[in-house]
Parts: sequence; structure tokens; C-alpha cells
Amino acid sequence: MTSETRQEQAPAGVASAGSPRRRGRRFAALVVALAVAVVAATWLAVSIGAVHVALPQAWGIVADRLVPGLVPRTWTPVQAQIVWEFRLPRALLALLVGAGLAVVGAVLQALVRNPLADPFLLGVSSGASFGAVLVLILGASTLGGLTLSGAAFAGSLLALGLVYTLAQRSGRLTPSRLVLAGVALAYLFQALYSFVLQQAQSGRAAQQVLFWLMGSLGGARWHMLPLPAVVLVGGLVYLLLQHRRLNALAAGEETAVSLGVNVHGLRITLFVLTSLLVGVLVATSGAIAFVGLIVPHAARLLVGADHRRVLPVTALLGAAFLQLVDVAARTVNAPQELALSIVTALFGVPFFLWLLRRRSVDRAVTVA
Amino acid sequence: MMLDLRGVSVRLDSRPIVHEADLLVDAGEFVALVGPNGCGKSTLLRTIYRALRPSAGLISVDGDDVHGLSWPESARRTAVVAQETPSELDFTVGEVVLMGRTPYERVPAADEERCARALDRVGLAGAEERVYATLSGGEKQRALIARALVQETRLFLLDEPTSHLDIRHQLEILHLVRELGVATLAVLHDLNQAAAFCDRLYVMSAGRILAGGPPGQVLTPGLISEVYGVRAVQRTQLVFERLKGEP
Repeated sequence: MTSETRQEQAPAGVASAGSPRRRGRRFAALVVALAVAVVAATWLAVSIGAVHVALPQAWGIVADRLVPGLVPRTWTPVQAQIVWEFRLPRALLALLVGAGLAVVGAVLQALVRNPLADPFLLGVSSGASFGAVLVLILGASTLGGLTLSGAAFAGSLLALGLVYTLAQRSGRLTPSRLVLAGVALAYLFQALYSFVLQQAQSGRAAQQVLFWLMGSLGGARWHMLPLPAVVLVGGLVYLLLQHRRLNALAAGEETAVSLGVNVHGLRITLFVLTSLLVGVLVATSGAIAFVGLIVPHAARLLVGADHRRVLPVTALLGAAFLQLVDVAARTVNAPQELALSIVTALFGVPFFLWLLRRRSVDRAVTVA
Repeated sequence: MMLDLRGVSVRLDSRPIVHEADLLVDAGEFVALVGPNGCGKSTLLRTIYRALRPSAGLISVDGDDVHGLSWPESARRTAVVAQETPSELDFTVGEVVLMGRTPYERVPAADEERCARALDRVGLAGAEERVYATLSGGEKQRALIARALVQETRLFLLDEPTSHLDIRHQLEILHLVRELGVATLAVLHDLNQAAAFCDRLYVMSAGRILAGGPPGQVLTPGLISEVYGVRAVQRTQLVFERLKGEP
């Protein structure tokens, strides 16, 4: 009865559209605000450093490169070179890596239904690092011409495949086994690449690799940007098209099946996609911890659990977050740079412990 | 026939769990599946909604072999209400119910209207914005029934939908499903409840369906002692009924 009256009063869903519409506006405002934050953080990153470049000058240098003669030149050629050749590609790479790692974290958390899932904690980043170290130390020729990104992708896929296989029992994924298998494999791959590094002939090269492994964007150049950009944008578009299936999967494996999702096929696709992203990102910037853990949680606090909203917000938040982390890593101990994982750990560890203390997580880990 | 199982066998890790099960549910019928813990009733149900594959036999829903249908098509024919809590993630009730439209093309305004109607029908009108995890056990089950409703299927499968609820909410949920009039196969724990609510029931034991039919004919003291190893005694006792007009 009540449903009939509801229909008469408010045809075409108006009865329930009020609050979703308001929420839609709030979401749009949030996305715009985050996009502004991303641009602001990037602008800041480009102007800060050993050679000071004022904010308007940094903007002018970039504008002048894109459209020569657009603004009067108030900067030196050295400043222009530093901004255009080093700081801007580095800042853009920070955006790509931050967004990519955060999105991978969000997808893994839905995929394995565990709020602790993160490419670093599940051993995926260590697998990618192992692949990258093999190429860096032994040289691509020993590995049949495998590129850095290719080796890192192979390593992350291997790690994720192993974690997934080890965590399964009677065809079901067990959360506690998943976390334990991930931690164990992370240690295994760390031991493996440490061994390779120890065997390396040049101590200095090994030290450089070790620093890079803890996360560094110092090597960023323009030619390194297209591959991560293409993989990230392509991945995000695919994931957004799959947002309803991701929601169903996050609600539970059997639920997703009963809602008509080909869970097996979706999982394999998501595995390959996340491994590819992690591999490509680790190949450019090393393994940066905790971004994939913190950022998706923050995004869900802002917009709830629906992946249609979570994914874009996660990408923007991750980009802004890593940009600021990189600025901090460059300035706190200047002229020395901190490894990015040191900075992210400052945020990540307290956050992780807070998550652990929440009962819901406890349940997620202990229910077998 | 809405649901038709012929000689269905299921293996888990190559262990036989269900052996040659035959089972029928007609349109509009409420059929219960009972049996002791570990007898294979939940496994059989999971096989019907394709969480598992049968090792032998045929499962047809509305005339077609479900394991031969596309995934979305089988979800347009069969909806499931299980006790699985949706997630650690904070989905709202509206989002949970809307998941029932996953096997369909998304039609924004019309889908929201369907959700509102379904929530109204299960007594949760206007609960769209509440966070699912904060609902009580009975409300969660009703939200899942609303999700099954917007799936617009002609067959419901229930896997012990009332096992965590107190007696009043158990009765509420079972009444609610009965009144929907959708063909239902329900795995139930409580024999008395099964007998009170179903048109027919099947009794499973050690992976086999031992008997099927109207509860009065099937639930004999002999069968119950054979299946459960307990003596069935008929005596006057309190019978719980839902009060009319209660929420």
C-alpha cells in the first residue's frame, strides 16, 4: 500500500532521489577540491628545492615550454632547465605512482576482502622489487632482454599468484592465511633480493639499488612517464567500468556469484591488472610502503564503500599524498634525500596499528 | 517446475559431499531442506547458485540447465539470501540493496525506485542511507531479502536465514518470505519451524536425500531417529506465533 502511494506522489524515483542527488553534488565538489589540491601540491613541488624558483616563475617556465612566448621570461636558463628537466617529470611521476599504488590498494582490499591488504603487505611489492633487482644487478642480457618493468611485473605476478594459492583452502580464500602467506612471501623475496645485492660486485651500485628500493623518485625523467601513465589510465577506466562487480566482490565471493559475477574470471583479470600496475610503478620508483593501505581507507571515510566513488577519490588522494611526501623527503633533511618509505611509514605505521585495534579488522583476520 | 534437480552429486576436494540428489520446487512453493550438521544441505544449495559445480547430474531452473547459462542470466533467475555479512567495508543499506541489480543494466532513477519499494516491503522504508554494518541482525536479513527482491527472480534460495536471530525475528523473516509468494528452497535448522512454514520438505543425511513430501508425512519418529539419532516425542508444548500488528 505504502509503496503505491509513494509512487503516486513521486514518479520516476523522486522519493529516493533527494539524498543521492545531494550526495552526488557533494561527491562532485570533493573531486574538484581534490583536483585543485593535486595541482597545488604539484606546483609547490616544482618550485621547492636547492635552487629556489618562485611559484609564479615555476608556472611561467612550464607555460613557456608549452606555448613559447606566452609569458615574459623572468627566470634564468638554469632555473628553467631544473624545473623542466628534473622537477616537473619527478612531480608528475609522484602523481602517477601515488595514484597507482593507492588504486592497487583499493582493488586488493576488495579482491581479498581484507582491509589490511596492500601491495607491500601482501608481498607483491617485494616480488616486483626482486624482479627489478635481478635486472639491475645481473643486467637485462642475462635475463633474456627482459626490461626493468617486465621483470618487476613478472615478479609481482609471481608473488601475488603464490600468495593467492597459499591462502586458499577448499576453494575458499581464508583471510588469516592470506595475510600470513603475504608476510612470509614478502620476507622470502626480500631475502632473495638482499642475497643478489650482497653478491653484486660493485658495493656502490648495490647501495644505490638498496636506496631506490625503499622508494625514490630521484631518477625521474620524461621518457619514464608514458608507460606508467598509459597503464594507470587504462587500468582506472577498466576498473570504473567494473565498479558494480567490484562492489559485489567486496560484499563476498558467494554473494558476487549469486549476483551473476564471473568471480573466477574477474579475479584473474584483477590479479593481472594489479600486478602490472605494481610492476610498472616499482620499476620507476622502487617499493613505496603504506600508500596502498592508508589512502583507500581515507577515501572510504570520505565517500563510503561504493567503488564508483572510491576509485577516483583514491587516485586523487594518492597523487596529492605522494606529492607532499616527496616534497617532505626532499626538504626535511636537505641536501640529503630521505627514502619515501621512511616518510610514508611515519604516517602508515600509526594508521596500521589503529586499524588493527578496530574490532572489525580483528574479525576479518581471525574468522577462517 | 521452477527448480528441478536430477541425480546431482557434488564433490569438495574430491570428497563426495552430496550423492545423487533429486529435488523439485514448484512455482510459488516454499520447500525446506533439513538435516543434521554436515549432511551436505548447504553444499547442495551452493551448487544450485553456482558457487560450486556438480560432479554429476542436472540442475535446471525454469527449464534450463543453470550451469549452462551465462552468469548474469542465472542471477536473473535465482536470488540467494545467506547469512554471510556483506563486508568489512561500510556499504549503506541502499548500496547493498542496489547490488541486487548487478545482473541488469543500470537504470538510475528506476533502480532507486525499485530499492525503495523493496525496502518498504521488508519494513525498512527510508533506510537507504543507514550503514549496513550498524543494522541489527533481523534488519540485516531483511535488507538482504530486499536485495533478493530487486533481483526480480522467480526462485529464492535461503541458507539458514534465521540461525543468528531470536525467536521473534526468526518468525518475522520466515513469514516475510512466505508472504512474498516466490518459489523458495530454504535450508532450515529448526525442524519445528520447517514443519510449520513449508509446503513440502526434504530430509538429507550423509549426503543423500532420504525423504521428501509434506511435513506431516515425512517427519515421522522413525525417520527422525534414523537421521538425527534422537527420539521424537509428541506432546503438548508451547507453540510460538507472531503477534499481529507487531513491527
